[in-house]
Amino acid sequence: MEYKLLAHMPGLVARVVCEVGDKVEAGQELAVINCMKTEMSCQTEKAGVVKEILVAEWDEMDVGTPMIILDAE
Amino acid sequence: MIKVVNGGIEILVEDWPGRLGYMGLGMAAAGAMDNLALQLGNKIVGNELTDAGLEIAGGYCEFEFVEDGVIALTGADMSPTLNDEPMPMWEAVAVKVGDHLKLSHFGEKGFRSYLIPAGGVDVEKYLGSRSTCIFGNYGGFEGRKLAKDDIVKVFKKDITGIAGKKLNPKYMPDYENDWELRTIPGPNSAPDYVTEEGMNYLFSHSFKISHNANRAAYRLEEVDGSMFWAREDGGKGGSHPSNIVDHGYNIRGGLNITGNTPSVLVADGPTLGGFCCVAQVINADLWKIGQGIPARDKMHFKFTTLEEATEARKEREQMFEAADLIV
Repeated sequence: MEYKLLAHMPGLVARVVCEVGDKVEAGQELAVINCMKTEMSCQTEKAGVVKEILVAEWDEMDVGTPMIILDAE
Repeated sequence: MIKVVNGGIEILVEDWPGRLGYMGLGMAAAGAMDNLALQLGNKIVGNELTDAGLEIAGGYCEFEFVEDGVIALTGADMSPTLNDEPMPMWEAVAVKVGDHLKLSHFGEKGFRSYLIPAGGVDVEKYLGSRSTCIFGNYGGFEGRKLAKDDIVKVFKKDITGIAGKKLNPKYMPDYENDWELRTIPGPNSAPDYVTEEGMNYLFSHSFKISHNANRAAYRLEEVDGSMFWAREDGGKGGSHPSNIVDHGYNIRGGLNITGNTPSVLVADGPTLGGFCCVAQVINADLWKIGQGIPARDKMHFKFTTLEEATEARKEREQMFEAADLIV
């Protein structure tokens, strides 16, 4: 089952902290958005394996922008 | 009392007009980013206009009520639910012990909601205000944003007959995505600091709000410095024409330009510095700044005179006294 991590705030991608192929747990931080001069953690709701990373540092996000795709467990 | 189940992005105790009288000591006034929503919420639940509420930026939060009471939610619509049922906004709603209020996230228009309990939020005043200055870490609830398991006290109040009171729709604020801010030029504007062309651009262009927009300042997209500035450098103030010998900033609402980047200085903003303040958003429109969505909305500045600003302020004060404001 595919799971997409969506941006929960508008802003810029501060960093992506996972790589394709990583096994991740539910609640784990996969990326960070910079908004309101604050870093906001983007955490996956599901465990799985990182299949695709759709964003890079400095990319501009709106709410709901897909960021990372997992093969979810 | 209200328990925070999920603190979301940023929930702060704020009042209005905030902490006045300490700018000379470097302390910004703080206060609600959308003072209109806060004050209308206070009117709906029968509070004083100056009472404190919870300012909710962005959303993604949940509360549990630890005692019976009456609340109003005003400001941006974040699809609130009370016990998983849609909850009306701009209306006094009775809540019972154990009730859960959830806010999703900001939608198409507006960025901040206000949770106003009848009686007002009970935190100790610091230097005359209950407002949080988040960048100074003082005031409000322990000088910080609220977090999971915090319990916020509410002043006792007779809540008989308050539930069901609503804001008269004719007074409902208009929410936009390109916010019109009535603005007075100066103190550092044309002809000494900015060209006429620069000021014309300022008063005719819609500026996108940066992702770097918070309670200190709303940063906007850059201006073209080659046509904007009247000086080649800042003289004794510095090498860039935006530099000026340090002076007190006109906050809240000063349009400060650092390099070629404009920022509207707001609640917790800097009280002084070495950059030009080219204009001033009028008091009656300060509320709109706080509803601007970072990295999405725009703002444009409408040329306004001091007389018009004074009149707008009087109209606002008269609105709060209108007999048909709350129905």
